[in-house]
Amino acid sequence: MGTVVSIDLADQLPAADLTKLVEQTCAWLHEVDARFSTYQESSEVCRFRSGKLTLDQCSPDMRHVLEACADLWRATDGYFDANATGRLDPSGYVKGWSIEVASARLAAAGSVNHCLNAGGDIRMRGKNAEGKPWRVGIRHPWEAEKLSWVLAVSEGAVATSGTYERGDHVFNPRTGKPARGLRSVTVVGPDLALADAYATAGLAMGEAGIGWLAKLSAQGYQSAVVTDDGRAFSSAGLPAAV
Amino acid sequence: MRRSTAAAVGTLTGAALIVGVRLSVSAPVVTAAPAAVDLDGSGAGGDPSPSKSASKKKEPTKKPTSAATSDAGAAGGGSGPADGTFKGKGVTNPYGTVQVSIKIEGGKITAVGATYPLTGESATINPAAIPKLKQETLTKQSAEIDAVSGATFTSKSYVESLQAALDAAGA
Repeated sequence: MGTVVSIDLADQLPAADLTKLVEQTCAWLHEVDARFSTYQESSEVCRFRSGKLTLDQCSPDMRHVLEACADLWRATDGYFDANATGRLDPSGYVKGWSIEVASARLAAAGSVNHCLNAGGDIRMRGKNAEGKPWRVGIRHPWEAEKLSWVLAVSEGAVATSGTYERGDHVFNPRTGKPARGLRSVTVVGPDLALADAYATAGLAMGEAGIGWLAKLSAQGYQSAVVTDDGRAFSSAGLPAAV
Repeated sequence: MRRSTAAAVGTLTGAALIVGVRLSVSAPVVTAAPAAVDLDGSGAGGDPSPSKSASKKKEPTKKPTSAATSDAGAAGGGSGPADGTFKGKGVTNPYGTVQVSIKIEGGKITAVGATYPLTGESATINPAAIPKLKQETLTKQSAEIDAVSGATFTSKSYVESLQAALDAAGA
């Protein structure tokens, strides 16, 4: 996936158990990478999109991802588009989903206090090592070493999409042109895969995304936005730390 | 100050668009209502023919303001519409009742307003009911944190990121 995953386990468990949990998490992420990599011709996603595999021959995970991407395409009015580049690339969903699954597996295996950060998209449960809610900083969109918000989250996900890191890599699928108007969009909610997709869609919408994101609060997804000209917006339910 | 003004305009435009879409059934009302009010004004002027054509409400391409002003001119005779604020008949559509009002000063319409439904299903089209993101000041913080959320960084930029520094500190 070309990203770095930070795994932070805060449970009072024997070191050997924690090591095993980290290893299992890494094994799962490598499995996901092998299956969904768009860079390896042997991956399932590459074989599916080149027609070497039919949908029936795909794994349940692959079918789930395809279905979820279709659902998100509808839920975001087409602004989250796994086919935006002209060929299937579900990476925008797979990253959040794989971390979501990793977190659920950790919880099932006994780690109920952890924080997984995949390239700035974070899923956390329980408390940090100090027994307090996890504190998540949202990167300042102009100053990499500063934060624009600090959130306190015990259970849930925080995902940020922005134009500042890799330049024009988010496109408005309606116009085919790079997204303009918003510099950074953060979405906070129960599911990282959805939060990540909503953040990407909001960014692609441009300034109209501010109104669209506001409506997501009814579904439990809060947001914080910075425009290209430096205005900042946040929803009333954003779990800002005191 | 400048920035917050721009934001208010942006938000209002967004809300107005939604009102426009959902209230499309009531659009003719807006042109009809000044005509109804004009009927009162020309009735005082004592010239029935322009008021009749106006009350047919079928000059929607003109803006209510210009249409009414030209009617006042046609009524002529120096009197014109009386000054004051006039309310059109409330018109009920599936979303509630819409009532248009105009203000006349010196024989000319100086303001046009409308009241929109505030209850029931119409709550969804009332701008105040549309959830908004509140604007605030973008600040620069550096606080004790466990993780950093930011736009996807590649393995290369991770090395220089705040998250990498956190990981190094915790390791």
